[in-house]
Amino acid sequence: MIKAVDGTVTGNDHGHSAGGGGNGHAASVAERKPIRVRVLRQDVAGGESYWERFEIPYEPNLNVISVLQKIAARATSLDGRAVAPVAWDCCCLEEVCGSCTMLVNGRTRMACSSLVDKLLEEGDEIELRPMSKFPVVRDLVVDRRRLFHSLERVKAWVPVDDSYDHGPGPRISPEEQQDAYPLATCISCGCCLEACPQFTKVETVQRAGETAESLEKRRKDSFEGQFVGAHAISQAMLFNSHPTGRMIADERLEALTSAGGIQMCGNAQNCVAVCPKHIPLTRSIARAGRAATVWAIKRLFDR
Amino acid sequence: MSDASPPSRSFLGRHQFLIYRLFSLSGLVPVGAFLVVHLLTNASVLGGPGAFQSRVNLIHSLGPLLVPVEWAFIFLPMLFHATVGFVIIANGLPNVGSYPYAGNVRYTLQRATGMIAFAFILWHVIHLHWLGTPLGGGRFDPHHASSSTARALASPLVTALYAVGILSAVFHFANGLWSLGITWGLWTSPAAMRRASAVSIVVGVLLAAAGLGALGGMRALDVDAAVTIEKRMEEFKRLQEGTPPTPAAEPRGRAVSRRSEAADEAVRDGGR
Repeated sequence: MIKAVDGTVTGNDHGHSAGGGGNGHAASVAERKPIRVRVLRQDVAGGESYWERFEIPYEPNLNVISVLQKIAARATSLDGRAVAPVAWDCCCLEEVCGSCTMLVNGRTRMACSSLVDKLLEEGDEIELRPMSKFPVVRDLVVDRRRLFHSLERVKAWVPVDDSYDHGPGPRISPEEQQDAYPLATCISCGCCLEACPQFTKVETVQRAGETAESLEKRRKDSFEGQFVGAHAISQAMLFNSHPTGRMIADERLEALTSAGGIQMCGNAQNCVAVCPKHIPLTRSIARAGRAATVWAIKRLFDR
Repeated sequence: MSDASPPSRSFLGRHQFLIYRLFSLSGLVPVGAFLVVHLLTNASVLGGPGAFQSRVNLIHSLGPLLVPVEWAFIFLPMLFHATVGFVIIANGLPNVGSYPYAGNVRYTLQRATGMIAFAFILWHVIHLHWLGTPLGGGRFDPHHASSSTARALASPLVTALYAVGILSAVFHFANGLWSLGITWGLWTSPAAMRRASAVSIVVGVLLAAAGLGALGGMRALDVDAAVTIEKRMEEFKRLQEGTPPTPAAEPRGRAVSRRSEAADEAVRDGGR
């Protein structure tokens, strides 16, 4: 770790002598320029967005979450105004919960695994924006209900939801496990959707005097026929490969070939490039394409 | 917008999968297959105007069936492919600036070349096939396949536009081939996709060579010699079929030879 920090410091144009030993290292960290952060803020859902700049002293080994925590602790913008702390979502801080997705320097990433020392190599200022494909709730917090709605559409589960004893499940070979495991690591972060040029934003804003029920119904309707996205296609393939999940394979393929299904994929393959879990999403998409081909032919001739 | 019935319940929504799959298929057969045949036929001009003329004669041996075949297997599938293609382009949101990955660049180029190829083909068909000179260049004459094409392509600007159009169509076809294999589930693993990509590149390079070769061949053509060969071939065909000279073909040929005589005179005058 110290070695990495020294590397960044000597790579810097401050040009101090390396003779100081331990003290020299401490001094060099303090010498470093403060970290500037530009955040695209929004006070309410459907409201106007605006940029605000912040500055915090440099510290090694920060991630974007710790930067946001330090900004919240000061709650003062770069021009010295007291401002409301920036709102963001996070939970596990280890790329497992999938809740801290945001646009860091213009690219969709998990804030927890976005390391500041690496980001400073990209430029002096760190830019944070909320995901652009989901409605903003506040600042960096977005409403990702559509992501979960897509999982519901393709029935991304094993249908054993009752209290009856079904006995032991069927055996799964190690080969099948090897094949399925990477798909099971999906954290529903939405990076694949954010980077997908075929996945576009759908936002339903509450009307004056509208009830929550009416808003929820309009929102659900607005998801209908919209692209399900790479994550849902991959989960459908995961559960279609599972011996018990396979029992409703046709229902999943029915969903995948309905409006907004697999056919919306444009093969840009950004999903697989940005996936923080390195899930073979394009393999899932191609397999879903093959399954849809076979299923469509079967449906044409078997009915 | 959200008050209207959801798009999924409309006719296009209910048949979206079928329409998009037919769109994908039409890019390969018949539109893509036609592109391959067309470019290879054109490239035969590199074997001389006679080689090209005999291939054109073969196509035109369909006689009165040619126009319905053209519409059923070329124009209508192409219009269908273009219409759905424009809907797809309109619904996408290219982001190659934020995510400059090779696949994303190809995705963006696929849309750009689709639009360029569509505009090019529209112009190409109208000027070379239907109307002729009003749209620049000239009109294709099936009895004088090489010489009429060479004259239509005489302007460097027209040739440059053809080069852009051909390369766009070829890229769109070759990359579409790779994409189609994923859509239908022919290649599913990343390794298989890489192999398919290599094959698509080879197909694209060969087709581009055929297309640009034909273009160069047309430009390098000795028009007067081509006219002589074409007239001889036409004469031979006429003798074989025992039909009298067609009034339409004769003046055209004469106009050409008159023009070339004038050119010869100009050269001789210049020499004096």
